[in-house]
Amino acid sequence: MEDRGVRKPGRTMKETLGLIVNPVAGMGGSVGLKGTDGEMYKRALELNASPVTPKRTKDLLSHIRNRGRIELLVPPGRMGKEHVSGLGIPFTVIGMVEEETSAEDTKRMAVEMLREGIKLLIVVGGDGTARDICDAIGLGVPVVAVPAGVKVFSSVFAVSAKAAAEMVDAFVEGTDVTEEEVLDIDEETFRRGRLASSLYGYLLVPNVREFLQAGKEASSVSKPSVQSKEEIAAYVVKGMDQGILYLLGPGTTVKSIADEIGVSKTLLGIDAIFEGQLVGTDLNEKGILELFERYKGRKMIVTPIGGNGFIFGRGNKQFTPEVIKQVGRENIIVVGTKDKLSRLDCLRVDTGDLEVDRLLQGPMEVTVGNKEEMLVEVR
Amino acid sequence: MEGVISLDMNEVPYPPPQRIIEAAQRGLSSLNRYADPENLEYLRRLLANYAGVSRNHVILSAGSNLLLREVIHIFSKGRKVVMVSPSFLPTVEAVKQFAIKSVSIRLSPPDYSLNPEMLMKTVKEPTLVLIDNPNNPTGKILLDRATVVTLTQNPDIVTVIDEAYYEFSQVTFSNLVHDRPNLAITRTMDKAFSLAGARVGYIIAGEGFLNAFSSYDPFLPQCSLYAAIEALNNLSYVKQNVRRIVEERERVLRKLDTLGAHVYSSRANFFLMKVELPGIARRLRDMGVLVSDLSGQLSPGFIRVSVGTREENDVFLDSYTKILEEEGSKRLFSTNHTNHA
Repeated sequence: MEDRGVRKPGRTMKETLGLIVNPVAGMGGSVGLKGTDGEMYKRALELNASPVTPKRTKDLLSHIRNRGRIELLVPPGRMGKEHVSGLGIPFTVIGMVEEETSAEDTKRMAVEMLREGIKLLIVVGGDGTARDICDAIGLGVPVVAVPAGVKVFSSVFAVSAKAAAEMVDAFVEGTDVTEEEVLDIDEETFRRGRLASSLYGYLLVPNVREFLQAGKEASSVSKPSVQSKEEIAAYVVKGMDQGILYLLGPGTTVKSIADEIGVSKTLLGIDAIFEGQLVGTDLNEKGILELFERYKGRKMIVTPIGGNGFIFGRGNKQFTPEVIKQVGRENIIVVGTKDKLSRLDCLRVDTGDLEVDRLLQGPMEVTVGNKEEMLVEVR
Repeated sequence: MEGVISLDMNEVPYPPPQRIIEAAQRGLSSLNRYADPENLEYLRRLLANYAGVSRNHVILSAGSNLLLREVIHIFSKGRKVVMVSPSFLPTVEAVKQFAIKSVSIRLSPPDYSLNPEMLMKTVKEPTLVLIDNPNNPTGKILLDRATVVTLTQNPDIVTVIDEAYYEFSQVTFSNLVHDRPNLAITRTMDKAFSLAGARVGYIIAGEGFLNAFSSYDPFLPQCSLYAAIEALNNLSYVKQNVRRIVEERERVLRKLDTLGAHVYSSRANFFLMKVELPGIARRLRDMGVLVSDLSGQLSPGFIRVSVGTREENDVFLDSYTKILEEEGSKRLFSTNHTNHA
């Protein structure tokens, strides 16, 4: 059992930030395991894999400029305390963890830190760690994610430990936050040499996009993300036809359309709306096809996944080739903020049916604002 | 700014010849007067002669971006606006402000070219087409003659081509305006003429534009007018500017190539570069070199670099090399990046 820290009484004027290190993240990389999810961690140890998070964490902490303005809450041992001692940043150890840590420890510590009132959570790990944080705190507090895992595909991650330090500084200096995507990478498939990612959820991150993995610096023409989504939603809703079933795919931009209509949509599921009423929630293919028997006019609204641009085949597999064929290409409405589109080279599809993929390929209009479309190649 | 190397505004780094500075100074002596209409007419004639068109097809303005804004304001009424993305930012912002509906055609890797078929698919209704050629920021030529001819055959389509960097690209469609009332070309003396501070722009307009601009007052400042006239009376320095910039551009691109940078060929006095280093524009700025950060317009890591003097370009190259060294080595970085791609 690791030691238990004692939280100092009273509040300081400093910002309290949480730090959680996944001590096993990235260990599989050097020994060719493509991840340490599940039993793979033990296999990595057998292969004498070395931990990579200590250096990443040190790089991060040593590059934070505003050290005098922060204090850290950290878990004991390798999940936190071991990395912060002697760096001149005040810290408090909270909670207890076993020598062998797990995803449950990450989740539990994140929840404890949120309860303690942290303003920002710094997490060192990979996509799996980001998913754990997503499960534990959702959009409860902004996160700076330091890439240390073998799989680091989610756009929530900073491009490097140094970039993560810049993001921490920007947050302390008062920058706003935005939502970024957490991806679910199938590790088994990844080991077989194929990247199968889908949208898992969202985390809030400091809005300094030049330091984000799939990010960018806001341009003079860009707007805050929420405002852009509201603008898109208002435009799409205004153009909605009577007598048409609308299938709404996952994502916050699509959810903003449901919000505009005034219905409650699942963030990651597929919901159906007919004339302003929710007629299906979290639908699978069977549920969608059943609705098609009742509603002959159909449209679907989708948004690309940030970073890779998939509009079908990742995160919305309920939109099967059969569903897409029955809707038809001309009835697919793609929406996305200019901010997101600017980071994509193209849109992508991988429905599992080459014929449907071919049907979808070519230029596709994407609604990016009020009466604003962008014509983007689907590949 | 003193001590800072400005490679972010696509200016030509060489000052104009002394005779042009002296002409501008002569303009200063008439600062209490508005520009003489005869002088304005003279400048129009010189520009018409330079562009190989009739004088009445030339409209002057204090900067071509003002003309573009005016064109968008007037001709987007009742028309959809089609443009490319990325594009010249003031154009993008004017479209956002005035257009009732806009479609941006996304330019995509590997070469950021414009697919003519994609363009034609977007112009099925009354449309204002706005395209910068070469494109800013890619430096790529997007249009060929056949595409422009096809576009302008349809009277419902108004086409405006921004040729701000014509002197570097040597690609122009100005000779089509006599027969194409729905075609206009915008140009500037800001770039190859070393007159960015004078702000002299002009439009070579087809018949359909002339009415709309019949009451348009160019409002050129006296010193700009005098400088522009003097510049057009002897163009040898412009040719020299272009030659030096193109030579420097190619030298810098070759050098960057040897450093492992991902650079794109250009037909302008700037080039596009993709750098897999976080915050590259900021890091260069911290070293006193300003470049244009395109991370708001293209996927992460893109910057646009204007071609400066040889000395300025060397400082840019040295700064970039130092940043690479700071990162360990470019080879190491490249390996890391591949792992994350």
